[in-house]
Amino acid sequence: MKERITYILSRVLELILTLLLVSLFTFAAFSVIPGDTAQTILGPNATPEQVEILREKMGLNDPLAFRYLSWLKGAFTGNFGNSISFNSSVSSLIVSRLPVTFGLSLLALILVLVISYPSAVISSRRPGKFWDQVFSVFGHVSFAIPPFVLSLLSVLLASKVFGYFAVGKYVSPAKDFGGYLYCLLLPAFCIAVPKIAMTFKFLRASILTEKNNDYVRTSKSRGLSDIKIMFKHILPNSNVSVITALSIVLSDLLGGSLIVEQVFNLPGLGRLLLQAIGRRDFPLLSGIVFYLATMMVIIYFLADILMNMCDPRLRRNRGEL
Amino acid sequence: MRKKISPYFIVGSIFLLVIVLSCILGLLGVGPDPEKTNSASKLMAPSMSHLMGTDNLGRDVFARVLSASKYTLLISFAGVTVALVIGTVAGMLAGYFGGIWDRIIMLLGNSVMCFPGILLALVAVAVSGPSLFNVIWALGLVFAPTFARVYRTEVIKIKGRDYILHARILKVNPIRIMAVHIFPNAFAQIIPAIVIGLANMTLSESAMSYLGLGVQPPKASYGKILSDAQSYITAAPWLVIFPSLMLVIYILGLYFISEGIRGDK
Repeated sequence: MKERITYILSRVLELILTLLLVSLFTFAAFSVIPGDTAQTILGPNATPEQVEILREKMGLNDPLAFRYLSWLKGAFTGNFGNSISFNSSVSSLIVSRLPVTFGLSLLALILVLVISYPSAVISSRRPGKFWDQVFSVFGHVSFAIPPFVLSLLSVLLASKVFGYFAVGKYVSPAKDFGGYLYCLLLPAFCIAVPKIAMTFKFLRASILTEKNNDYVRTSKSRGLSDIKIMFKHILPNSNVSVITALSIVLSDLLGGSLIVEQVFNLPGLGRLLLQAIGRRDFPLLSGIVFYLATMMVIIYFLADILMNMCDPRLRRNRGEL
Repeated sequence: MRKKISPYFIVGSIFLLVIVLSCILGLLGVGPDPEKTNSASKLMAPSMSHLMGTDNLGRDVFARVLSASKYTLLISFAGVTVALVIGTVAGMLAGYFGGIWDRIIMLLGNSVMCFPGILLALVAVAVSGPSLFNVIWALGLVFAPTFARVYRTEVIKIKGRDYILHARILKVNPIRIMAVHIFPNAFAQIIPAIVIGLANMTLSESAMSYLGLGVQPPKASYGKILSDAQSYITAAPWLVIFPSLMLVIYILGLYFISEGIRGDK
């Protein structure tokens, strides 16, 4: 028990350090850029005096370290300042875009789980045989299709062949939840496809390794059915290694969502990000970047703790590798 | 020592050959000028004179795809080289010296990996201005931690072997040990990671170009062509289909090759 607490404490310390580094990266990236933020806001016709007044007001004349600390303080209290181009606060802009990006990522994650688990179980029943081959070939091909290409192709297919799909439409979840899901389903699928392949591959390998263990043979000789062995013994053990993979999958899903939103014209964080880039709205941009990275740091942290809870073996031989 | 070559490796090599060939054809300037616009032949369907049709400015898609192969290949190889150099140095230092070095390097690497997908590269390019050079270094930096990780694991494995111990007893300079004894032995294990890195680099580059933050016109990679084609997707599907196909062939080829290499062991 004591060991576990020390472990969690050391992980929390690492979490805080990582968050600090992430914030430093984000801040540094936006401090080295050429150009004057105050000048950008006021436009080319502003007099030097006006620019100077705004610089003073925004704290741009303060030393860099001081600016970092005040930015950091704001960032951890959810106050990223005001957007230059949208005339509203950065955090409220981010929050308004969350339903799309998180809805997409979550829906994609559900698709990944729902599709990869059954296919991996079927595949690993008879490795090398028909279904295994079919799933593996599918897996390889879908691994290689970039989500945005798949989106473009599915937009093409949806409009040419099926005549209709909710392409380029968006309904807010508060208004019509069913419609919201319907709009997000195709984009979520496009993001999910390569990750389904990845999870499938990982899970299949993990199940096959578990299958060779003694406890499987013992259970078999005790007369347990294959299905029972699979669900009671093999899958719980395989899950442990899949948790890490899933945290990476989630990160990629989030990244994929940022891009696919653009194809399907969905008002999510990805669109906001590109608008911020296009308008050189750096307070907004740094807010989005820091927010997303923080989310990921926390997800990785939780996955790590979860894995540690699930597998007591990891606690003992945590060491060099 | 006759080993059966994995079918994955053969198919992958053929796919890669197609892309390399199209890159060479592009460099040789076969076919019409990829940048020449022609208002008389806008959005023409594929035919004998325009194998892959023409785009909204009357440019020949086939010629554009050939020239795009060049940029796609260039960025993926150059980016992986940057990532490999940084990753190798960082991974070896972390793995060999361990302790505080290991902690610091791994923490830095992990914090880079916390940014989802290509977010960090996107922002780096947005901040420094989109250009071929900036895309390469941004992607290189973002991919470096993956290589550092693989290298670190390998170095830790090799470090304990007798010949390294022997070298250390003889007071060989650590840098020499790393460069002469560890590096070549670890490198064989890195090859699949390099191939996968190339594929992932291409995925990221194409997505960045698609978003308009990759190579800038008149240069174009597959992603850029796709981004230009998006508005005409229903009117001229060939604008989307052929570049997508090339992109997928390239990435699939790389995946198959890495699968083949790993299967052989």
